[in-house]
Amino acid sequence: MTAPLLEVTDLCTYFEARTGTVKSVDGISLHLEKGEILGLVGESGSGKSITGFSLIGLIDKPGRIVSGSIKLDGRELVGLSEPELRKIRGRDIAMVFQDPMMTLNPVLTVLDQMTLALQAHERISDADARLRAVEALRKVRIVDPEQKVDFYPHQFSGGMRQRVAIAIALLHRPKIVIADEPTTALDVSVQAEILVEVKSLVAELGISMIWISHDLATVASISKRIAVMKAGKIVETGLASEVLRTPSHPYTQSLLDALPSRSKPGQRLGAGANDIDGESAARPIAAAMADPSFVAMDGLVKVFEQKRGFWARLGERSGLLKSKKPVLAVENVDLTIAKGEALGLVGESGSGKSTLGRIVCGIYQPTEGRITLNNSPVMSAGPQPRKLTTNVQMIFQDPFASLDPRRTIGQSIAEGPIAHGLTSKAEARSYVAEWLKAVSLDPAFADRYPHQFSGGQRQRIAIARALAMRPDVIVCDEPVASLDVSIQAQILNLLLQLRKELGLTLLFISHDLSVVRHLCDRVAVMYRGKIIEVGTAEEIFDAPQEAYTRALLNAIPKLA
Amino acid sequence: MTLSVEKARTSSDFWAEFARHPVAVIAAVILLVVIVLAVFAPLIAPQDPYDLSSLVMRDARRAPGYIGTAGYTHILGTDSQGRDLFSAILYGLRISLEMGLLAGAIAFSIGALVGCTAAYVGGRFEALVMRLVDLQLSFPAILLAFVVAALLGQGKGQLIVALVFSQYAYFVRTAHGAAAVERNKDYVEAALSVPMSGWFVVTRHILPNALPPLIVVATVQVASAISLEATLSFLGVGLPPTEPSLGMLISGGFQYLLSGRYWISIYPGVALIILIMAINLVGDQVRSQLNPRLKR
Repeated sequence: MTAPLLEVTDLCTYFEARTGTVKSVDGISLHLEKGEILGLVGESGSGKSITGFSLIGLIDKPGRIVSGSIKLDGRELVGLSEPELRKIRGRDIAMVFQDPMMTLNPVLTVLDQMTLALQAHERISDADARLRAVEALRKVRIVDPEQKVDFYPHQFSGGMRQRVAIAIALLHRPKIVIADEPTTALDVSVQAEILVEVKSLVAELGISMIWISHDLATVASISKRIAVMKAGKIVETGLASEVLRTPSHPYTQSLLDALPSRSKPGQRLGAGANDIDGESAARPIAAAMADPSFVAMDGLVKVFEQKRGFWARLGERSGLLKSKKPVLAVENVDLTIAKGEALGLVGESGSGKSTLGRIVCGIYQPTEGRITLNNSPVMSAGPQPRKLTTNVQMIFQDPFASLDPRRTIGQSIAEGPIAHGLTSKAEARSYVAEWLKAVSLDPAFADRYPHQFSGGQRQRIAIARALAMRPDVIVCDEPVASLDVSIQAQILNLLLQLRKELGLTLLFISHDLSVVRHLCDRVAVMYRGKIIEVGTAEEIFDAPQEAYTRALLNAIPKLA
Repeated sequence: MTLSVEKARTSSDFWAEFARHPVAVIAAVILLVVIVLAVFAPLIAPQDPYDLSSLVMRDARRAPGYIGTAGYTHILGTDSQGRDLFSAILYGLRISLEMGLLAGAIAFSIGALVGCTAAYVGGRFEALVMRLVDLQLSFPAILLAFVVAALLGQGKGQLIVALVFSQYAYFVRTAHGAAAVERNKDYVEAALSVPMSGWFVVTRHILPNALPPLIVVATVQVASAISLEATLSFLGVGLPPTEPSLGMLISGGFQYLLSGRYWISIYPGVALIILIMAINLVGDQVRSQLNPRLKR
């Protein structure tokens, strides 16, 4: 047997922090054969990205590779000087990152960027570089590459941009491509296309790939062999089918248990040791829903006017400038949510689902139509609209952004209830403590600031803040999208439990269909501002009527 | 996944970082010494420059080291009215700091509130306020201050009005910029969706989060207010001649500069430069620590 293309043994990458040494990568060994795709799975902070960066020698201070070896074709890479590493980077080992908007230079055309990348390693004329660039774009299935090569990054959609990034990585025919969460920022249907194309590209070009992701399902669908990382160590490695069917390490098992797609709807998910206690929360049955139009959306339309300055308006009037079209984000939506029901709202990014959620919650005023809660309007009409009710509250996607960094979480939770007379300043402490307990957090946390908490804890705080207003309806805008899968399971369990205890009505917005199926009684599918299909969860997932819904369902990566 | 380095938030972290920059530390120490000297001027100064009866014309324009009628050494010499320059400078620093800090604080408060409110309210109000500010920023601050000071006449109160008027626009601009960013963040939307009142959101959420860039502007603007005050006094539209302001002292010695009596102008000038440089150096360090983008 010949030596593998890439062999990593006992690699350790440590970061020196003031508080001590952080062992981001702590003695991992792996190998990569020619033409193989290796999946590297782990939750955030597991060291999978740092492993990728270590392989191409892009570890910045205070981090450094402490020990171990990385052999590429028998050549030792650890300890090489920066100029030598630069020769390898891009030519032998290339990298594709998560967010192509961040890695592509917005002021250079695709051609310019590719020419720069080519001329970094080869002496090549501009004309030849253009040919190579066009050919590279054609390879990643970009239509009309001769013209697209002169485009700027912002002229491509998210999926196309990621294709361009892959094309740049492939320019030098590298032996290895390291892809760090390359489809995480993309919609599920675009992700499905890229997965298929990457697979065939790898086979066609005979390159090897390390596919880093937090998502077991995507990794399983693209790679034959996977390695599971936890706290800087590889805990399990093997064929994807075997690891997923019969995981040998408890951590892998817990990752699998936390996936909503692998358990019955409404059932508690396995969420690891930190899970809250409590019996399994059964889903409230439809018959218990007394008021079928508790939340009623009637002909909702939301148009966003483009902001124009004085000169732009003058230019439009005089016909010198093209007028900007207003954006129609939500188009004629009629929808009802029964009391105690959980309605899932699914759709791809840009479909208008977040805008609809914000209208329901009284953050945006609808351009046309009415939104009522228990037969009374959520927002007043007129040029200075005010939210009239505290009965609908919101949980936001990013718990890092939705809490004020300069207020203690106690202040954040208490400010609404104090302002609306649900508690007094004197009793605020015990009121806050009560709600922190309700979301399984220590009441003593009330005096801390948001940055002292993890993402999952912050989302619990955000839930406590919403609940402290004692609402009947909660709008959840992608509440678990930015969380790791085991944390996601904990938050979903918490939502299930709270819903049962408090009889909450939920509008649950998500792009993740398996999460929606797990939590919701009814599902509405949104596409380009319109609701194209509504039905019970079973109807939508088992017998979708619309072609778009079927396409959306088919695009979900499945485990084995 | 990215490595997110948590921003240094606690004050002990802040000072530990500050202590690693020797220039900033030296500037801070100098600033502290100047402040102590200014605050305790009546105890340290050998002469009270406001007490006209202690002035002796025979002592006027004496070189440093001259032992005067009152029996003590004028270590920095005396000015054209026979005032002890060392005492006058101490009192001058006192006036400079008082003017600079007062004007800075008032301009800061007005600017922070107007800027944050404009960013929050948006629409026509925002456009109106910001265009006014732009208009004002297109004139040199010194010109505005000069015109206002000349119109109002001499005096401490009048001078502060002139300084505030010429400086508040910088604070509005900065506060507006920072607040406009905060305005669109989720936590503001979260507070509005409760719903919390606009006043609450502006004062409790937006303003505290817009503070760091304002603090940076404040250090620069205090230094510039001090130099503006000196300039106006030098030009004769600032403080009345009875106040031993640094600008006044410099202007008083200006005519003797070429006749060899350099000390009357030079020493107050040096004091002014040391004060302004110390404030600016401390401000620079604070800015680089509060603005993560400037970190390498």
